[in-house]
Amino acid sequence: MKQSLHSATLSNGIILVGERLPDLESVAVAFHSPAGSIHDPVGTCGLATVAGEMCLRGAGVRDSRQLVEDLESAGVQWSQGVSSTHASFSGAMVARHLPDVLPIYADILRRPLLPEDELPAARQMVLQNLAGIEDDPAHRAIAALRRIHCPAPWGMPTEGISADVESISIDDVRGFVGHHLQPGGMIVSVAGRIDWDDFVRRVDDLLGDWPAVSSAAVGVGPRGPFIHHVPHDSQQTHIALAWSVPPYRDDASHEATAALAILGGGPSSRFFTEIRERRGLCYSVSAGYQTSRDFANAVCYSGTSAERAQETLDVMLAEIGRLPGTISPDELGRVKARAKSGLTMQQESSAARAGAIARQWYHLGRLRTLAQELERYDRLDVAGVEGWLADQPPRDLTVVSLGRDPLEVRCAIPA
Amino acid sequence: MPFLHERLPNGLDVIAETSESAVSTSVGFFVMTGSRDESDALWGTSHFLEHMVFKGTPEIPGDAINRRFDDMGASVNAFTSEEDTVYYASVLPEQQHEAVDLVARMMRPALRDEDFETEKLVILEEIRMYDDQPPFGADELCRAAFFGGHPLGRSVLGTADSIRGLPVAAMRDYHRRRYAPGTMVLAASGAVDFPALVESAKRLCGAWEPVTAPERLVSVSPRAAARPGRERIVRPAAALDYAVWMVAGPDEHDPDRHAARLLSVVLGDSSGSRLYWGLVDSGEAEQAACIHQDFLDAGVFITQLSCDAADVDELTERIAGIYATAASGGIPPAEFERAQNKLASRVVLGGEKPRRRLFEVGLDWSHCRTYRSVGDNLRIVEQITLDDVHRVLKTWPLDAPAAAVVAGPGSGS
Repeated sequence: MKQSLHSATLSNGIILVGERLPDLESVAVAFHSPAGSIHDPVGTCGLATVAGEMCLRGAGVRDSRQLVEDLESAGVQWSQGVSSTHASFSGAMVARHLPDVLPIYADILRRPLLPEDELPAARQMVLQNLAGIEDDPAHRAIAALRRIHCPAPWGMPTEGISADVESISIDDVRGFVGHHLQPGGMIVSVAGRIDWDDFVRRVDDLLGDWPAVSSAAVGVGPRGPFIHHVPHDSQQTHIALAWSVPPYRDDASHEATAALAILGGGPSSRFFTEIRERRGLCYSVSAGYQTSRDFANAVCYSGTSAERAQETLDVMLAEIGRLPGTISPDELGRVKARAKSGLTMQQESSAARAGAIARQWYHLGRLRTLAQELERYDRLDVAGVEGWLADQPPRDLTVVSLGRDPLEVRCAIPA
Repeated sequence: MPFLHERLPNGLDVIAETSESAVSTSVGFFVMTGSRDESDALWGTSHFLEHMVFKGTPEIPGDAINRRFDDMGASVNAFTSEEDTVYYASVLPEQQHEAVDLVARMMRPALRDEDFETEKLVILEEIRMYDDQPPFGADELCRAAFFGGHPLGRSVLGTADSIRGLPVAAMRDYHRRRYAPGTMVLAASGAVDFPALVESAKRLCGAWEPVTAPERLVSVSPRAAARPGRERIVRPAAALDYAVWMVAGPDEHDPDRHAARLLSVVLGDSSGSRLYWGLVDSGEAEQAACIHQDFLDAGVFITQLSCDAADVDELTERIAGIYATAASGGIPPAEFERAQNKLASRVVLGGEKPRRRLFEVGLDWSHCRTYRSVGDNLRIVEQITLDDVHRVLKTWPLDAPAAAVVAGPGSGS
């Protein structure tokens, strides 16, 4: 398949990446600003999230309501979200609406009103979300894992901490937006039925004269304990495990993701087969790969009733320990087949492609074609995956349980 | 996007919406059976059976099924609702034959005793999982309170007791009666080779014996909640209250169902709606939504609210006020058009994904023996008028006495 991938850099450093998918009627655009939660100052955990919410509460000549109504009148399926590294504003729409919609996003980025009278509502919205998370045991288990496994600020909850959110002032928000919602490090991605040259011209007109400011480096603190239990009154106990693996931009990430997919990435994976299909221990069990630019983690999860949680953890640890030296060509073949069809099917979604090319640029500083991606999977072999596992076997596992009783980590894996 | 249809002599319908530009093929079996087709003794059987279908056929063990799907690089899953059980796989076009072959064989599962007992444990874990998370059973209790003895009052998962008590022989009998060619549809979307699909269907499904399927338990559309009033589920550890209430709305044969959907976007969409601006934007509610759901013989407007337990009464009142204002003052044209644009955009963007189209095309055919293209669906949205929406507001009052359930820590009234 001939792919139409593009990239450009504006004079202030904003990166534009795009892919033309001429068979689609839609276009998806996303503005990823380096205003993520790793920049939350100590004591104001949740500031990036409150700031992201505040940016939608009026921008340019539009108040909060007019902003949303104008996006929705154009049929834009919009979203706003904050990750540890970025604040992202995105929208998917029928392609003809894009020229009218870009100026609205430019206002959100460059001219957010950040009105003081909207701050209590924005703060309250973030607090409501935190209360909702309190009731979501699986989310809490993974958040607790991240908190102790990753050094601060990477492990801090992007959603915030209630006591910190309550203390956030309008000056905090305005200061954060001024420092971090800026062109340096911003990636704008677009995919779908696009005219690339026209897109670049329009974005340059809207954002090209936005001066860049330098951003402070992020300091890194210590990590937490390796084993942790969160008491929670529930029928099920939730188990979350993590260990370090190479980040996406490291060549070995391919071997790492393949090994993790064999462990817990699909219905024929070892976790699913051994824990759910053979033993009936749980409904959900998985292993996956979560990457930042400079580090990545293997993350495993299962939720099961309290009295069966110890056996579930024991089997999960046994399967992790059994992984090196036992990869079969059939298993790797299945992982490659799944990855290849997943990559190919991305071409049917403008939003999926806009997300994928933005991530590629962030991690690699360049775009890979679909053919290059597929070729990387073709090159994967058992010797390579086993070689990586021999070099970097799972070790130093972080283990979190959330439920009535703590679990015993009876672990043959070095920790 | 051409639509193609062929009926096998045993009654199995084979349908496809083909697209030259698609890079994937989605295939699925749509079985006209769900929780509404169960008796008390069979409560939860449709969903449990959906799990058992993945445990293998007499010739293919369950782990081989999983391996074969992964060999194809298939994205595969299934779901069970009140009225349907759907199995689907999305693959690259060159895998169509293999995918159809496997899914079709799975429709005649082995239902082995030992698999049944193991999978029972998984179902019980699934029940516990949902019971531990919001809305803590409020949605299911509310459905039971609204529908009362109507077959739609039954939850899809069943209960721990109904699952524990279910014998495998009852499931085998249920499968024989409900998975008959006349009550199943083989559907495909995307890059489909239709002649090959029909050929596969004839080879794999042609010998399925026609069975006179039991009539679906279709009742008179309930116009009012069977058990109006508010019930409570106490979860001392919950951080928020989760309220759900239901009133009647148009069913899937009522032309006003489209206007009902548009009305739910105006009133209770996840952004830009009256509930959003009235409760969510201010941070008073974690969620406030109104959705319209339609079934063969019934429809409901479902309102969902999550908020601090101390605020649940006040916010429930406020939502009632928002509904009353809509009923008395109507919907201004600009607000109506905005909702119409949102719906139209969803039709177009959703139409780009073969998987999404598989569900739409398969369910339309399964329920109504009707095909509607993306263009047809777009026209339906464009033809909704403000008068239609106002008629729905009058015919199906949202402030009617509702069946309501609140789950939470218990500090509310």
